[in-house]
Amino acid sequence: MKKMFPKLTASLAVCSVLVSTSIAADVIKIGVQAPITGQYANEGQSIDNGVKLIVDQYNAKGGVLGKKIEVVTCDDQGTAQQAAICAKKLVNEGVKAVIGSYTSGATEAAQTTYFRAGVLQTSDGTSDSLIAHKYWTFFRNSFPNSAEADYTAKYFVDGKQYKKIVILSDYSSYSTDLADATSKALKAKNANIIYEGKIKSGTQNFTATLTKIKSMDPDVIYFSGYYTDGGLLRAQQIQLGIKADFVGGDSNDNPDYMKLAGDSAKGTLLINVPTPDILPYDIAKTFLVDYKAKFNAMPASIWSLMNVDGLRAILHTMEQTKSEDTKVIAESLHKLKDFPGITGPVTFREDGERIGGGYMTYEVQADKSYKIVYQ
Amino acid sequence: MDIFLQQMVNGLTIGSLYALVALGYTMVYGVMRLINFAHGDLVAFSAFIGLSVYAQIFGESVTSLIAVITVFVFTAAIVAFVGVLLERLAYRPLRTAPRLSAVVSALGAGLVIQNSVMLIWGPNMKIFPSNLFPATIWEIGGIVITFTQVMILGLSSVLMVGLYFFIHQTKIGTAIRAVAIDQDAAKLMGINVNRIVMIIFIIGSSLGAVAGLFIGTYYRGVTFDMGWMYGLNAFVAAIMGGIGNIPGAMLGGLLLGLFNAMITGYISTQWAETFTFVLLIAILVFRPTGILGETVAEKV
Repeated sequence: MKKMFPKLTASLAVCSVLVSTSIAADVIKIGVQAPITGQYANEGQSIDNGVKLIVDQYNAKGGVLGKKIEVVTCDDQGTAQQAAICAKKLVNEGVKAVIGSYTSGATEAAQTTYFRAGVLQTSDGTSDSLIAHKYWTFFRNSFPNSAEADYTAKYFVDGKQYKKIVILSDYSSYSTDLADATSKALKAKNANIIYEGKIKSGTQNFTATLTKIKSMDPDVIYFSGYYTDGGLLRAQQIQLGIKADFVGGDSNDNPDYMKLAGDSAKGTLLINVPTPDILPYDIAKTFLVDYKAKFNAMPASIWSLMNVDGLRAILHTMEQTKSEDTKVIAESLHKLKDFPGITGPVTFREDGERIGGGYMTYEVQADKSYKIVYQ
Repeated sequence: MDIFLQQMVNGLTIGSLYALVALGYTMVYGVMRLINFAHGDLVAFSAFIGLSVYAQIFGESVTSLIAVITVFVFTAAIVAFVGVLLERLAYRPLRTAPRLSAVVSALGAGLVIQNSVMLIWGPNMKIFPSNLFPATIWEIGGIVITFTQVMILGLSSVLMVGLYFFIHQTKIGTAIRAVAIDQDAAKLMGINVNRIVMIIFIIGSSLGAVAGLFIGTYYRGVTFDMGWMYGLNAFVAAIMGGIGNIPGAMLGGLLLGLFNAMITGYISTQWAETFTFVLLIAILVFRPTGILGETVAEKV
């Protein structure tokens, strides 16, 4: 019995190699791991749309390396459990690279599987922990939380000169990481943080936490979580008559934030990299026109475009290296410098971190438009 | 002190929503000895129905008292119909089957409703118009109360008091109590049990519909899977108060809301759920029939 297993596994291994090479022969598969359903569905669908648009454009020109590109989408619902299942599924499908996921939590849960299988992964997840594993397969197409935290601290202390700061986050990997980084950056500037708390994402009722905050009479409430909770927090803050400024981290920058907060959205301060419609690059303008023409909507946020840039960088490098070997592509990607992206020049560091930043603060106006108040 | 009172207001508002949902659980259990696990999803379903009714009849901009009342009445009627349909299709064929089959059927029905909502309205969060109720806010000695909160507290108290009198003062109410005590004996007394069960589902589902609409107007964002969370909390409330007992469900809901608000306000959000279930276990250990389970001998 003991002797049988090595043979069995060996023959299985041969089988799987045969299967994967026969698939690899005619098409190149690209995976999308994104929350197509669940509370972050509009971000997930936007990533999927963006990837499909770019792939269609490539295929119309004959694909990449003379082969058509095929997109395989897996819905991770924004949860870690589903993300782990998606990772296995996409690896079994034989994808070369995976775009996504949207949340840091779902990205981190899938990272190791892709690393072991040698599948490239590019995500907009901003948790600093994503890079900490030092997987050669991982490329962050956005900028890390620590960059945003430094900007936020500078804005709070030098710009706004807030005296009493409240920091709220949810339990997700991204939000906790951003809140911790912001708190650290603020403390380094000797700012006065009077309360650091957490809300449970999706519970809808935040009045108890906000009432507690009201008694502390803060200058500002900073929320590092997602728009689905941020919009409600803001609405309930105004209802309870808390006068403090409300500053939302990057993930509050979403059309649904405005709908949830309703009239209370006015006056919200949002911190993010430039929004899609004010990107100055020609390539961004063309992409947005194409996107609008195909899906009759604008991308949900800048994050879809970051992911699209990740895909474009990978396809570009595939053509440059004339190779399908992920190891070769990764090596070249690590040296990629100033590749013209939709969201600005794309440059990767040795550990897969995208170099750059350029955050801005927007104030939401009565008509829900943005006004840049701090750069 | 005003912080404490503000937390009371917060807690009572969410508590009366739990109470409305808990009534649906407790009434069905009282009569059929069945935990209707599909009830939470019916609540979520009613929020979406309400949105569609509003968009269909009034378009996006019209808001008036008549519009709001129409939305509530139409939604309650549609959801009551779905509730009766649910009983016909998923529970009545299993009435004589072992209890476990009925519970599994209820869980399955819940999934069917939840996924239907996702397929019909899509997986995205849907957002209620912000102007259904006036945005009036009263500030009394540092405590803030919104118009929506007053509506929730007021209408749910009226509904609960009304239900109590309906059960205890009317002929149908007496029949419901009789069926709850002994179905066979009630049948021999000439009570149409099927009709009583239907009435129970109509009342339970409409109260759930009202709760669903309130969740939509108060919190604005509704998702297809939110029924699980409200359902679970209301189920806990029903057990706390003594399942099968109507005043118990009301009391359990209000207590749970208050308890949650106080824990969140004075300890932390992290502990709110832990303490809720510690409280539930404590009640079950020291009073296995719930808070009102023994003092009121008659169930339903």
